[in-house]
Amino acid sequence: MIEVKKISKKYGRKKILDGVSFTANKGEVTCLIGINGVGKTTTLKAIMGLTPYKGEILIDDQKMTKDSYEKITFIPDAPIMLPQMTIKQAMVFMADFYTSWNSRRANQLMGFFKLKEETPISELSKGNTAKLNLMLGLSLDVDYVLMDEPFSGIDMFSREQIADVFASHLIEDRGVIITTHEIGDIEHLIDKVILLDNGTVLREFNTEEMREEEGKSVVDVMREVYQA
Amino acid sequence: MNVNTREPVYLQVVRHFKEQIAIGKFVAGQEIPSRRELAASLNINPNTAQKAYKEMEEQGLIHTERNFPSQITTNETILQAVRQELILAAVDSFVDAIRPINVPVDELLRVVKEKYSEEIREEEEK
Amino acid sequence: MMRYLKLVNFEINRFSKIYISLLLITLVSQFVGVIIGTKNFLNGARDTMSEERLSEAAFVTNNGGIDFTYIANSLWFQGPIALSAVALIFYIFLIWYRDWFGKNTFIYRLLMLPTSRLTIYFSKATAIFLMVLGLIALQIIILPMENALFNSTVPEVFLNMEMSSSSIMSVNVVLSFIIPSTFTQFLLSYGAGLMVMSILFTAIMFERSFRIKGIIFGLVYCGITAALFLAPVFVMGLGNFYFYPNELFGLLLALGIIVTGLSIWLGSWLLKNRVTV
Repeated sequence: MIEVKKISKKYGRKKILDGVSFTANKGEVTCLIGINGVGKTTTLKAIMGLTPYKGEILIDDQKMTKDSYEKITFIPDAPIMLPQMTIKQAMVFMADFYTSWNSRRANQLMGFFKLKEETPISELSKGNTAKLNLMLGLSLDVDYVLMDEPFSGIDMFSREQIADVFASHLIEDRGVIITTHEIGDIEHLIDKVILLDNGTVLREFNTEEMREEEGKSVVDVMREVYQA
Repeated sequence: MNVNTREPVYLQVVRHFKEQIAIGKFVAGQEIPSRRELAASLNINPNTAQKAYKEMEEQGLIHTERNFPSQITTNETILQAVRQELILAAVDSFVDAIRPINVPVDELLRVVKEKYSEEIREEEEK
Repeated sequence: MMRYLKLVNFEINRFSKIYISLLLITLVSQFVGVIIGTKNFLNGARDTMSEERLSEAAFVTNNGGIDFTYIANSLWFQGPIALSAVALIFYIFLIWYRDWFGKNTFIYRLLMLPTSRLTIYFSKATAIFLMVLGLIALQIIILPMENALFNSTVPEVFLNMEMSSSSIMSVNVVLSFIIPSTFTQFLLSYGAGLMVMSILFTAIMFERSFRIKGIIFGLVYCGITAALFLAPVFVMGLGNFYFYPNELFGLLLALGIIVTGLSIWLGSWLLKNRVTV
């Protein structure tokens, strides 16, 4: 379980996060939704130890250490491998540094996303860059996967392919946190929703419980919360 | 399966299974897909598939022995009840919809009968 | 340890194109310098001799002969050394900033490696240090060759003296600095180099952690460490205190170790706890 406890973060005088708390369970897809602001990405960076913050974050009751990077991975929405590398070289790099690298899964994902090993990273389209990031992240045998805006700014068919990931064994038993500003066509694929606004959590709920107890869809609750 | 986002997805999966049983696509004792296969084919997440299977086990629709694929129950009473339940549920919502119009029962039954046979005839012609 | 070595290898590979260019430029430029330098001298001597109708011996008596210091002081010879030095100093900054500002934000991957941030810090420092040593090694290897080429192309009459490589190194200011002849000098040159690099790394970490405010912190840090390191020299400059050379050396060494240690600790602490990607 990832426990985010009252974390706050300022850039200059601007409060990006103001006492954000939530939990994300293993074996569930948790969705951080925020219509505006940058708090979502900052939250993921804070969990990954990529930015300082006030408050506390525990991963399976422990603070982040260097070894945690074998247990939790972050898939950003921008290219992070060297452009002069080929996809093959990026895979070799990952295999070199992570003991949790699973090359069998990597090859499966290469096929699933129809990526070619010899393609230089600098030549990938936005959609294929997102797929490369997913391929590299999901090929690690980690317990938690954090994905930043996996659907934003890419073509429809890539979106569909990426959505298929959420209905596959690729996320099975893992804790997944994704950020998005529009719930789109993955609404039925997520287990838990955290609604953020102005750096605070407005609502945290389980989607199936919300449907069962109140007969409301995620979009219904978003409308309620953001238009209130 | 078309997902309705206002109703628990796992219950929709359970109903989907019941429909398959009622129309005979799944028969007593038949092996059913693993939760992975089910998730992929219905485009739902594997946790939801897992939850649906758990619910169906609790209802006695399927049973699983360790390290074997789950199977549709061989208990005929339960299977019959599934059919009854679906019929009742459909009739319930039909009654709810028609009630405000205040149609006499005889007329209603006549219309239903005509409409129903027409549908079947059309389907057979296809 | 394996990850550290892999990272060092990785960092060197990333700079390899420019680095190999530097090695080649040094190699070519210095040999060209030897050939052109001797040719210029001999052509000049020949012109003078024919104009003034001098014998070779008379020319040497009037104008003096040539030796390798003439070559070693030329732009052909020292230019590539300066270029390499500037390139590597520049790379002290680039080795960090390219990870943030490149076309791809590689710093994400780097900081998410399952290795301590100190390892990342050291791998970058080691890469630069090894590249410096590599350039020096090249210089040590090619200097005797250049010297031999020089001695074989210059007729004996014009040669003031045949210098050994070690005397060339000790006579030339630049060479004697980059290729120290004693262990003490080695410590001074390279210890100072490492100290400056660690201070610059820390200043960069300040900037990466606190951005604009960080630039100020970084500059202040550079000032404080420079003042700390040079304190004994200032004390002596004030005139009312005198250190023997041995004492001064010991003090500078101790202060240098303190400053370097402090910088590495602070730099890697910032990288671990304060840096934002």
